[in-house]
Amino acid sequence: MIRFENVNKKYGNSVILDDLNFNIEAGEFVVLIGPSGCGKTTTLKSINRLIKPDQGKIFVNGQEISQVNPVKLRRKIGYVIQQIGLFPNMTIEQNIGVVPKRLKYDKKEIQKITRDLMEMVDMSYEEYAHKYPSELSGGQQQRIGVLRALAASPPIVLMDEPFGALDPMTRATLQKEIANLHKKLKKTIVFVTHDMNEALDLADKIVFMEHGKIVQMATPEEMLANPASPLIRDFMRKSALAADTLNLTAADFLSANVISVQKKKSIRECTDLMARHHIDSLVIKNEDQTYAGVVTIKDIKKHGKSSGVIGEIEPYQNITSDILENAKDSFDKLYSSGDNYVVVLNNDQTIAGIITKTSMATAMADTLWGDMQ
Amino acid sequence: MSFFETYGDRLITAFQIHLFYVLTSVVIGFVIALLLGILLSRVPQYAKVVMPLLSVFQTIPGIVFIGILFLYLGMIPATVISALAVYAIFPILKNTYTGLLDVKKEYIEAAKGCGMTPLQTLIEVELPLASPSIITGLRMSTIYTVSWAVLAAMIGLGGLGEFIYIGIASNNDQLILAGAIPSAIMAIILSLLIDVLRRAVVPKGIRSVK
Ligand SMILES: Nc1ncnc2c1ncn2[C@@H]1O[C@H](COP(=O)(O)OP(=O)(O)O)[C@@H](O)[C@H]1O
Ligand SMILES: [Mg+2]
Repeated sequence: MIRFENVNKKYGNSVILDDLNFNIEAGEFVVLIGPSGCGKTTTLKSINRLIKPDQGKIFVNGQEISQVNPVKLRRKIGYVIQQIGLFPNMTIEQNIGVVPKRLKYDKKEIQKITRDLMEMVDMSYEEYAHKYPSELSGGQQQRIGVLRALAASPPIVLMDEPFGALDPMTRATLQKEIANLHKKLKKTIVFVTHDMNEALDLADKIVFMEHGKIVQMATPEEMLANPASPLIRDFMRKSALAADTLNLTAADFLSANVISVQKKKSIRECTDLMARHHIDSLVIKNEDQTYAGVVTIKDIKKHGKSSGVIGEIEPYQNITSDILENAKDSFDKLYSSGDNYVVVLNNDQTIAGIITKTSMATAMADTLWGDMQ
Repeated sequence: MSFFETYGDRLITAFQIHLFYVLTSVVIGFVIALLLGILLSRVPQYAKVVMPLLSVFQTIPGIVFIGILFLYLGMIPATVISALAVYAIFPILKNTYTGLLDVKKEYIEAAKGCGMTPLQTLIEVELPLASPSIITGLRMSTIYTVSWAVLAAMIGLGGLGEFIYIGIASNNDQLILAGAIPSAIMAIILSLLIDVLRRAVVPKGIRSVK
């Protein structure tokens, strides 16, 4: 479907594409990946003649593209640019209809296409078709950018980091949508990303580029099993890490050896305990082991008497977090509350541990550089 | 005898002539400026030389310019209209040129990628996006031209300038105001009309951007 033969491109003295040779079969989902500046966008734009290589040949559908009228060529190749690029002066329907209109589809047909496509990504035609891009959220604009590329049912679609600027949730949704679209519509898709997770999720084949060269072209399984260069291995490791970080919970960050006492413990014992462990507060438990609060050395001093039990002192309601809570949320709580730690509770309200700034830092270091213990 | 009984008819004629000068010269200037602006925006490397030259030209006093044209063309309305048109060009040209250059590259690339020809890109994407800037230029030109048109009277071609010149010569404040106030009203009405035009021309999707 798409074939590069000895394609070279230079800007001044710097080589941007260095003798590229590859072949993309019809219906394949191919992902171009590599570090920033390695030539992914340049490769992509060579396919629809937005960029002209200095040497070499590119074939689309068996035709050498330098022999094809570029305007005609582009109407058969959908293109999603990196910056979305919806025309702000046109409504959503007009944006989606840009290519069909060039191809002289009639109005009814364009309306039907718009409606069908919007339905595929769960956007209501009635609600959005007559809005302008500025009235849509980033994720919605990105969807429309993809739909615009699909509108005239081109056999080939080029996408340049279409989800780069989105938050992880929206990105995950759109990745699913694009995978479904690919399954349903059986198009040849060339997709640029610098996110290895995205590549592994979506690709039939991954093309890994560096300095304008292809380092490895392989299926995701193959690339995972046998990364051809240290850089590829590095990309894989970082992406695995990023995926993990998203799934971290409070449980991953807590320090379990927290000093907690029953309410019936005498105040004298409690102060001894604090002195021995060099701490200035204790976590207090009810009879049934559930969390009651925190008492600090200041609270005890204010109380005045050292006879009696710790339960006599009204405990401070320290910030808490559920053990399954996202680590980022616990982290935010820790910083915004001003408390010295977050008390992490199990489902039954018993104490699982605490997250302190130190335990947080240790756990992060673990994730980044391997086990520190 | 009241002022209007004496001068009323002459005032109305003068207003009409003035308006005629303004409208024809702004329309001619607009067409030339738009075409030239589009042309220059296609070759920004030349525009960098041409635009400063034109702006120097703009600083030649109108009176000198009308005078020179008068010598060549004589005492005909075309003299006034061509002089005014030349002055009307620059603000529109400048705003067309910068408006077009300010269109973000991503839109032009998206348009190309969608298989638009350069002409389609210009008409469907670039000009609509530059339209707020172009209309602002048009409005500036129009307001300037209303005041420049006063110079027509200098070479005996009428318009509201007549009243002002006679008023100054005869030290008659009433006559000066009879020329100045309708000019001001004309400028206000025309710029209101251009605001109406702006609503019609500037696409809804970019109106909030102004
Ligand atoms: N018009 C240009 N002039 C000079 N250098 C360019 C131009 N466009 C891109 N480059 C350079 O070419 C290299 C590859 O760019 P690109 O294909 O956009 O990289 P990627 O998409 O992989 O990040 C980069 O180093 C970039 O700086
Ligand atoms: Mg890029």
